[in-house]
Amino acid sequence: MKKSILKLQTIIIDKDTNYIIKKPGNYAFEIVTEGINLDIFSALQAKGDKTVELNVLVHHQVPNTTAQTTLKAVGYDQSTLVMKAKILIDPGCHQTESFLTERALLVSKDAHALAVPDLEILTDDVKCSHAASVTKIPEEQIFYLTSRGISRKRAEEMIVNGFLKMK
Amino acid sequence: MTNSTTTNQGLYPSNQSTQSSTEFSFSTAGYKHITKPGLTENTIREISDLKNEPKWMLNIRLRAFQQYQFLHTPSWGADLSGIDFANIRYFLRASDEKPSWDDVPPEVKETFDRLGIPEAERDVLAGVKAQYDSEVVYGSLKSVWEKDGVIFLSMDEGLKKYPDLVKEYFGKVIASNDNKYAALNTAVWSGGSFVYIPKGVDVKMPLQTYFRINAELSGQFERTLIIVDEGAKVHYVEGCTAPNFSSTSLHSAVVEILVKKGATCQYTTVQNWYKNIYNLVTKRAYVEEEAKMIWTDFNMGSKVTMKYPGYILAGKGAVGETLSMALAGEGQHQDTGSKAIHLAPYTSSNIVSKSISKGGGRASYRGLVRIAPEAYGCKSSVICDALILDPESRTDTYPTNIIDNNDVEMQHEATVSKVGDDQLFYLMSRGINEEKAKKMIVNGFIADLVKKLPMEYAIEMNRLIDHEMEGSVG
Repeated sequence: MKKSILKLQTIIIDKDTNYIIKKPGNYAFEIVTEGINLDIFSALQAKGDKTVELNVLVHHQVPNTTAQTTLKAVGYDQSTLVMKAKILIDPGCHQTESFLTERALLVSKDAHALAVPDLEILTDDVKCSHAASVTKIPEEQIFYLTSRGISRKRAEEMIVNGFLKMK
Repeated sequence: MTNSTTTNQGLYPSNQSTQSSTEFSFSTAGYKHITKPGLTENTIREISDLKNEPKWMLNIRLRAFQQYQFLHTPSWGADLSGIDFANIRYFLRASDEKPSWDDVPPEVKETFDRLGIPEAERDVLAGVKAQYDSEVVYGSLKSVWEKDGVIFLSMDEGLKKYPDLVKEYFGKVIASNDNKYAALNTAVWSGGSFVYIPKGVDVKMPLQTYFRINAELSGQFERTLIIVDEGAKVHYVEGCTAPNFSSTSLHSAVVEILVKKGATCQYTTVQNWYKNIYNLVTKRAYVEEEAKMIWTDFNMGSKVTMKYPGYILAGKGAVGETLSMALAGEGQHQDTGSKAIHLAPYTSSNIVSKSISKGGGRASYRGLVRIAPEAYGCKSSVICDALILDPESRTDTYPTNIIDNNDVEMQHEATVSKVGDDQLFYLMSRGINEEKAKKMIVNGFIADLVKKLPMEYAIEMNRLIDHEMEGSVG
């Protein structure tokens, strides 16, 4: 794996925020105000032989905060998807709720995916979970659409669009 | 935690401690052979010479020693700076002298009493030298296995009696340069088990190696090789169920398993080392077509454990399963997990990990799922649940998933929680005191894993957890 040359962006979260990650890169979210909610959403696509790499750190630095992180990516052709995300909860940050989801959809059989969802929890009294999955387009969904006269290509597009939009 | 607070004593006089614990240690004067502290080429020649090993084994050792010197300590994982490699004695041959049950310190006895270890097995513990053959406890079973052609020996005996088998498979699943500690083990290995199950033989009762650590077998660098031939079935239980109270500072084992076509192997570890031991273990299985490997891995003891039992799913339809449980108490770091490497189509892996951290302990799950480009139709599921009992403790999850084709179903899930106040309230309002309520909740948390253990181990496991949980309220 090549070392990432993308710059690190540090984003200070001091109020309720809905953040949409539009470009690959390194993002560090630092939650510094008590009682707020952070929502992160990202839907990326990789085509050709490109590598799309997204590194996200959700860092809870104060008690009583919540965060939902949803990262989605679709890989076409010979592309590579890299999704590394980490939830870090500092000592003493009680009442934290943080959830992380990584979903990769590999459309082509030559596409690759690397999913690393890390948790580092340094206190108790938290609710924290993560989930990661890598799948292809389910054949039954394609069948459903093609049996209604939609071409396979169009059916794939529809399913991918639905996958990326769904929160 | 009554059994673990103060002492540093050796039940058996191996005393490989980095610092001398004169207060409790038994004399090693009666030992037949102890190598000088530290590791040089001469040490390895000495070990090999004492064992009367064939030349090729010495060469393997020496090559591994060179690799060991070049390999680096892993930059990730637990803090291993506390190991003083220069002061460790790498090989100890004990005398015939056995410590009697009366020599066992009172809190050790208490632990065994509370665990309900039967008197017969205590005898084995006291008679450490005889324990490995398992003759006292399991002797009656031995003839049954032998009739079927099952081989169950120590690695040293295995090398003497079946040099061709050992030569063929030794180091084939875990190369000596796999990692620094595998290289170290290959260089100085001593003891461990050699198991061969012939074609089609179903060993219905588990092969147990209970309390088998002693200086003669040198459990510190045990080397186990298990070959399960086509269609055979075996359940191997590594019974470190009782703590090893020696003041050893390093335990570095290598376990290699070959599961041939259609065979099944289950390997169960109940690790409860004394809490001053660095436990760095490499375990891997090579799983052929339609075969199945199950790791059941329970880690409760040791200061630091780094252990990631893995399987290479090399044949079509091979199945790997890991059930992993870790309990990290005060001063402990359990860095455990599992590795699933899918090389063949239609292979599946299923990893379930549960960890409990308390009293400032740290439990980490570190795992790998790798699916090769030609391994289509694969399924992998990884589930990690962590329970934190107090604010000082820590839990981490470091899963890595590398997927190189799209015809796969890979999923990973992890959750972290504490013992809920609502759950405690529910139980306490029914007249159960807090400590008992906590124990119930924790036992419930791991219940579905403990169920997979053989009965007597399951009961013991629950007792051990109760014991560990004692006084954790507040």
